[in-house]
Amino acid sequence: MRWRKWNFILHRDIGYLCIGLTLIYAISGVAVNHTSHSFNPSYTIEKSAATVSKLEDGKQPDREYVNQVLAELGETGTFKNVAMLNPSTMRIFIEGNSIDVTLATGAVIQEKIARKPGLFEMNYLHLNKHKKSWTLIADIYAIALGLLAVTGLLMIRGKNKLRGILFTSAGIALPLLFLFAVL
Amino acid sequence: MSKILSFLFVTLLFSPSVYAQELQLGDPITLTEVTKVSEINAHPEKYKGKKVLIEGMIINVCAARGCWMDIASDVPFEKIQVKVVDGEIVFPMEAKGRNAKVEGIAEELKLSREQAIAMGKHRAEEQGGEFDPSSITGPVSFLRIRGLGAIIQ
Repeated sequence: MRWRKWNFILHRDIGYLCIGLTLIYAISGVAVNHTSHSFNPSYTIEKSAATVSKLEDGKQPDREYVNQVLAELGETGTFKNVAMLNPSTMRIFIEGNSIDVTLATGAVIQEKIARKPGLFEMNYLHLNKHKKSWTLIADIYAIALGLLAVTGLLMIRGKNKLRGILFTSAGIALPLLFLFAVL
Repeated sequence: MSKILSFLFVTLLFSPSVYAQELQLGDPITLTEVTKVSEINAHPEKYKGKKVLIEGMIINVCAARGCWMDIASDVPFEKIQVKVVDGEIVFPMEAKGRNAKVEGIAEELKLSREQAIAMGKHRAEEQGGEFDPSSITGPVSFLRIRGLGAIIQ
C-alpha cells in the first residue's frame, strides 16, 4: 500500500534527523540523572587545602594582602572580586577558583571549578538553559520522537508482528508497572 | 534539512549567550528601583510577599543544581539567599564573584529546629563544609528571595 511506503520514509528520515539530538539527550540524561551533592554533571569541582602567610595582627585585609595570598598560591587567573564572609574569613574570587582564607591562621580552602568538556554543552541543551529558540527546537524534537513512535507502531506487521507486539507491550508496560509499584 | 539543523546546533552551541559576559536568566527585570539587601534584612515584615530588585556580589552558588545563590549585602558580613525552582533558572557556577541584579518575591521561611538542622546539614553537604547542629538552638526564620529573573554582570 502507498501509505506504508510513506510511513517507512517518514520513519527512516525522522530517525536520521533525531540521531544527533537523541545521543545528546541520552548522554546528558544519564549524567543529569546522577546529580548529587558529590556529582555535578556540568562542572568538575576540586577542593584543596593550603596555608599562606596569616594577616599580621592589627592589620585589615587589603589588596596588598590579597596579592600576597595569590602569589603564595601561585594563582595567576583573572581576579574577579573579594568579599569578607565574616570578620575572620576572606573569599577571593578568581576566574574558575574561589579561595577562602582564614585571616588569623592563613589556612586556605580552594574550590576550583571547570566545565566538563562536551558534557557541559550537552547538559546546557538538555536542560534548556538557553530557553528562547532552543525551546522551539526541543519541542520540534519531541514531536519528531512522537512521530517516530507512531510510524514505528504502524510498521508492526508480517513475520515480525509478534516480536513487535511483544517489545512494544514491554516498553509500555515498564513505566506503568513501575508507577503501579511505587505510587 | 539536516544541514540546517547542524547549523542551528553549532550556532547555539557557540552562541555568545553561552559564554556571554552578561547573562540574563529567567523573566526580564521589570523594576527599576534597587532595594538594599540590608534594608530587606533589617525590615523583613515590610518586604514579605513583595516583589523587590536587589543588587550585589554573588558569594556562593548551589554546587549541585545551581538552584540558589547568596548575594552579599551592602553591609559587611550580611547576605541574602536567592532561591529558584529547580531547572527554571540555573545559576552557573562561574557566577561566583560577579555582580548580579535579581528580581523576585521576598518570602519568609520558617523552620523548626529539626528542619533548620536538616537544612544546615544539606548545605554543608552541598558545599563540602562542616556543620555544627548545636549552633541551632531553636526555630529559625529568615527572609529569602524567590528569584524570578536575574542579570549576572
